[in-house]
Amino acid sequence: MQPNKLLKPSLYSEGSSNRDGTTVRLKGGRCRCGYVFFPMQTYGCERCGSYGDALTPYELSAEGTLLAEASVHLHADKNRLAPFTIVKVALDDGPVIRTLLADDSPPVTPGQRVTGRLVPTTQSESGETVLDLRFSIAS
Amino acid sequence: MARSLNELRPVYVVGIGWHRYQNPSETPYVELGLTAIRSALADARIEWPTVESSYVATALLGMASGRPMLRHLGATGAPLMHVENASASGSTAFRHACIEVASGISDVALAVGVDKRNPVRRSDTGIGNLAEDAIVPFTHFALLTNEYAVRHNASTEDIAQVAVKNHRNGAKNPNAQRQQERTLDEVLGGKRVSGSLTALQCTPIGEGAAAVIVASEDGIRRLGIDAGRAIRTTASVGRSERVYPPGAGFDAALTKETADLALAQAKLTPGDLDIIELHDAFTVEELHYIESIGLCPEGHGVRMLKEGALDIGGQCAINPSGGLIAMGHPIGPTGIGQIGEIVMQLRGEAGPRQHGGARTGLAHMVGVGAVCYVHILQK
Ligand SMILES: [Zn+2]
Repeated sequence: MQPNKLLKPSLYSEGSSNRDGTTVRLKGGRCRCGYVFFPMQTYGCERCGSYGDALTPYELSAEGTLLAEASVHLHADKNRLAPFTIVKVALDDGPVIRTLLADDSPPVTPGQRVTGRLVPTTQSESGETVLDLRFSIAS
Repeated sequence: MARSLNELRPVYVVGIGWHRYQNPSETPYVELGLTAIRSALADARIEWPTVESSYVATALLGMASGRPMLRHLGATGAPLMHVENASASGSTAFRHACIEVASGISDVALAVGVDKRNPVRRSDTGIGNLAEDAIVPFTHFALLTNEYAVRHNASTEDIAQVAVKNHRNGAKNPNAQRQQERTLDEVLGGKRVSGSLTALQCTPIGEGAAAVIVASEDGIRRLGIDAGRAIRTTASVGRSERVYPPGAGFDAALTKETADLALAQAKLTPGDLDIIELHDAFTVEELHYIESIGLCPEGHGVRMLKEGALDIGGQCAINPSGGLIAMGHPIGPTGIGQIGEIVMQLRGEAGPRQHGGARTGLAHMVGVGAVCYVHILQK
């Protein structure tokens, strides 16, 4: 079986597959000062300014707690049709990220546990399935 | 040793002017800007050649838009510079005009903001992101609205009252883009944008211009400017975002540290403020920022709002101009227009929206990035 194509492979990688979909590891980074960030970069640490070898890849689990959600009713960009829901998630590993709620997720409220998964989103021109990160209520 | 603005020589706002903020139109920016500058010169009762330096705030006009506008006032050869600092462009231009005069390099300087609503273009940093294309400003603030509502048990109606108040203030301001009072039902019944935000709880897209002229005591004397209408800038602080604890709202945290420094610089406490003009591009921001500035403890903003404490004539009038929600937010002009509003209020010249006995005003802007600017003006 061919590996799945990922929409943003620089930001996440595929974990194991189960009945809820494909688990995901987020490609974060860690500075030698202890600061954990997402996504990985080597320009320099926002907390202490160290750069280069001081910053190393650090995989983050896509488990976290919902801080906020917003259903977007109006969006000018034709490549992203409203409605869709944006979630703000405090990852258990530290960073706070903002991304999309899975279309099939029940409504979410702040404080709930949520999990990121890779879900099929678009078909590329060659017909292969492209996976992207979406959050939903933790099972 | 480094010094703050109020340890340098005193600097005063002596002239204010606008081109009304309005819906996007065919009017060229040159006409918008010239209208504001000529009205500020007339207000100060001085001639253009007395202005020794100009700071032109624009975020959306592209490169070098200032000189094609200023030349029509008569090309005096005076220096000019452009200031781009997102929503805080105008506030930043004002700060640097004040610094130039306070330092003694000039006696009279102009800060003018002008913008047309062109597309925002930001360069790629080379760092990827998950879904930032889906998170426009109103969704950023819809997320903050959801957090605030849950944390402080505030209802959608409570938060929307900010818009009712600011539309009421804007209805009395001839320079406001939106000059119509709105009921709570109208605010909530409007077009839904993102989360609980409706169109009337969001700043409109628009254009316009605002100008202020600042001067030293030497300049005021030499040019025969009416010192009785001059309003002193007693604090100026600019800051940028640091790393805050995970989940902390950076807009509010940055506002708190910037406002604290400005109040300390002017040797004031939040209770001394009569007027605040702040960055209410979205309703929830007003609650966040009055709490960050220290008007009330966190989560108590709704109570003050409902008691009328934030109305014109209340304990501290917040956004008597109508704020970004009603007066509008053409970007470059906005921070300068706030200064103009405070000056008008402290002079007692604000007509039907005059806050009685106003002696101290604070102007606050945040800009994406994030940056924050706070100025305090005193009679
Ligand atoms: Zn570091």
